[in-house]
Amino acid sequence: MNPEQLLRIRADLEDGIRRLIGRAVMVIELDLFALPCSCSGYTANLRGFQVDDIEVFEEHILKLLESTAEAVGSPSNFVFARIIPGTQEIASVNVRNLCPRCYSDFASTSGKRPRPDIYILRLNKRKK
Amino acid sequence: MNKKLYVPHPGHFDGLQQMLDSSKDIYSIYMAGSPDYIGTGRVNLGHAGLEEVARHTEYCHSKNVKIEMVLNSSCMGGQQLTTEGYNLIHWYISNLEDIGVDTVVVADPYLIEMIASEFNIPVVVSVLAFVDSPQKAEFFEQLGASSIVIDSNVNRHFDVLEAIRDAVDCELKLLVNEGCLYRCPFRYAHFNFFSHVNGPPPRPNVQDDYYYHKCLTLRINDPSLILKSPFIRPEDLKEYAHITDVFKIGGRSHFINWILNCVNAYAAESYDGNLMDLMDCPKDLVDLFNIPNKALDGAIEQWKKHSTVCHTCGYCERKISEIAQMYDHMGTTDEKLVQWNTITKKGIET
Repeated sequence: MNPEQLLRIRADLEDGIRRLIGRAVMVIELDLFALPCSCSGYTANLRGFQVDDIEVFEEHILKLLESTAEAVGSPSNFVFARIIPGTQEIASVNVRNLCPRCYSDFASTSGKRPRPDIYILRLNKRKK
Repeated sequence: MNKKLYVPHPGHFDGLQQMLDSSKDIYSIYMAGSPDYIGTGRVNLGHAGLEEVARHTEYCHSKNVKIEMVLNSSCMGGQQLTTEGYNLIHWYISNLEDIGVDTVVVADPYLIEMIASEFNIPVVVSVLAFVDSPQKAEFFEQLGASSIVIDSNVNRHFDVLEAIRDAVDCELKLLVNEGCLYRCPFRYAHFNFFSHVNGPPPRPNVQDDYYYHKCLTLRINDPSLILKSPFIRPEDLKEYAHITDVFKIGGRSHFINWILNCVNAYAAESYDGNLMDLMDCPKDLVDLFNIPNKALDGAIEQWKKHSTVCHTCGYCERKISEIAQMYDHMGTTDEKLVQWNTITKKGIET
C-alpha cells in the first residue's frame, strides 16, 4: 500500500457513496489503524452522511465498505458506523478485524444499536 | 481605501515574526491568552502565558503593530461574579495592562464595565456579544466600550449598520470572513461549548463537535448556505467605508500562509481564487467546493436589497447553481471539478 493507492481508495469510496445516495458527501479522512489489543482495520471519517442514508442503502453501503476493505488489505468481519449519539449525524464508518477481547465485547450484544454511538452493519459471529 | 486590518496570531513566536516580516498591511495582531484565566470563544493554536504575551507584545510594538488580547468567552459559568473569579480576572487584566497590550476584547457585559472602570486598557466588545442593533451598541458604549465588533449576522443589513454608526461614537469593527451560517441556530450553544473547552477547567472532553458536524452537513447538502453566510468579500470593503475602516480577519486556527493569503486579499481588496480559501470556517469545505470569488462581483447589490428574506428572493440558490463546482477524486491523478448540481439521484449503482 503506497500513498497514491491510499488516496485513490479514499476518492473511490467517496465517489461510491456519492453515486449511491445521489448527494455530495465528504470522506474527510481515511485512516488505517492498528491497536495494542490487536484489533486492526480502517476508519473513514465522513461529513454530510446520515443515519437515514445507512438505513436506506445499508446493503449497498456494506458492499462498498467491503470492497474498500479488500483494497486496503483488511479483513472485514466487523463493519459499523459511529454516530453522534442522539442525532442523525454519522461521524465515521469503520471496518475492524476484532481481537478476541473486543470480539467478546461486541459478540455479547444484540441488535444493530448496541450502544448509542454504534450502528452495526455486519458482525461475523464465530462458531462456538 | 485606507483601512486597519486586525489579523489573527498564528500561535507561536516564530510564526508571528514570519507574518510581520511578510506583510506591511497588518494594523494589529490579536491573540488569546492562557485558557486558565478567562478563556476565549474560539479554538487557538497557542496558549500564551503572561511571559509569552509580553514577548509578543514587545515584538509587535517594535514593528509598529498593535496587539489585542481576545478574552471573549461567551460563558464563564458564573465564575466571573464570584469573589475568587473577580480577583483572578483583576489580577490577569492588571498584568496585561502592565505588559502594555493595546486593547482587550471581551464578550461579557460585566467584564466590559469592570475593565472600563478599573483599568486604562481600551475595551472592545466581542462579536460574541452579538451587537446587532443601535440600542445594543448604545448600551455597550455607555458601559465603557471603546470599540464594538458588530454581530456578523448584520454584515449585509446596511440599514442596521448605518443606524449603529449613527447611534454611537466609538469605533466599529466588522468581522469579514467568519463564514458562519446566516442566523446560525447553533451559534450560542457552539460558542458556549468552545468557551468551556478553551477556558478554565473543568474542560469537557468530547469526541465529536455536534454543532460543527451539523454545520458541515447542512452546507454539503445545500451550498447556497455558503453564499447566504454574511461574509464580506475583499472587493466589497469599499461598500462599508461610510460605516468603518476597521476590519477583522478571522482565522486563529489556521497556518501562516492561509492568514497571509487573507491579509493580501483584503489589503488589495481583490481575490482571484476560490472563495472558500478565505473563509475561516468551515475550513474543511475548501476540499469539496470551488466557488470562484470573482463570479460574485456585483452580488453585493443583490445582498443589499434582499439580505433577510431568503425564501422570497432565491438569488443565492440560483447563483450557487451557476457557479459552484465540486471536487471529484480529489488527491488523485483523476482529480477534476464538476458542477455541484450534477450529483443527482440516478438510481443505485450496484
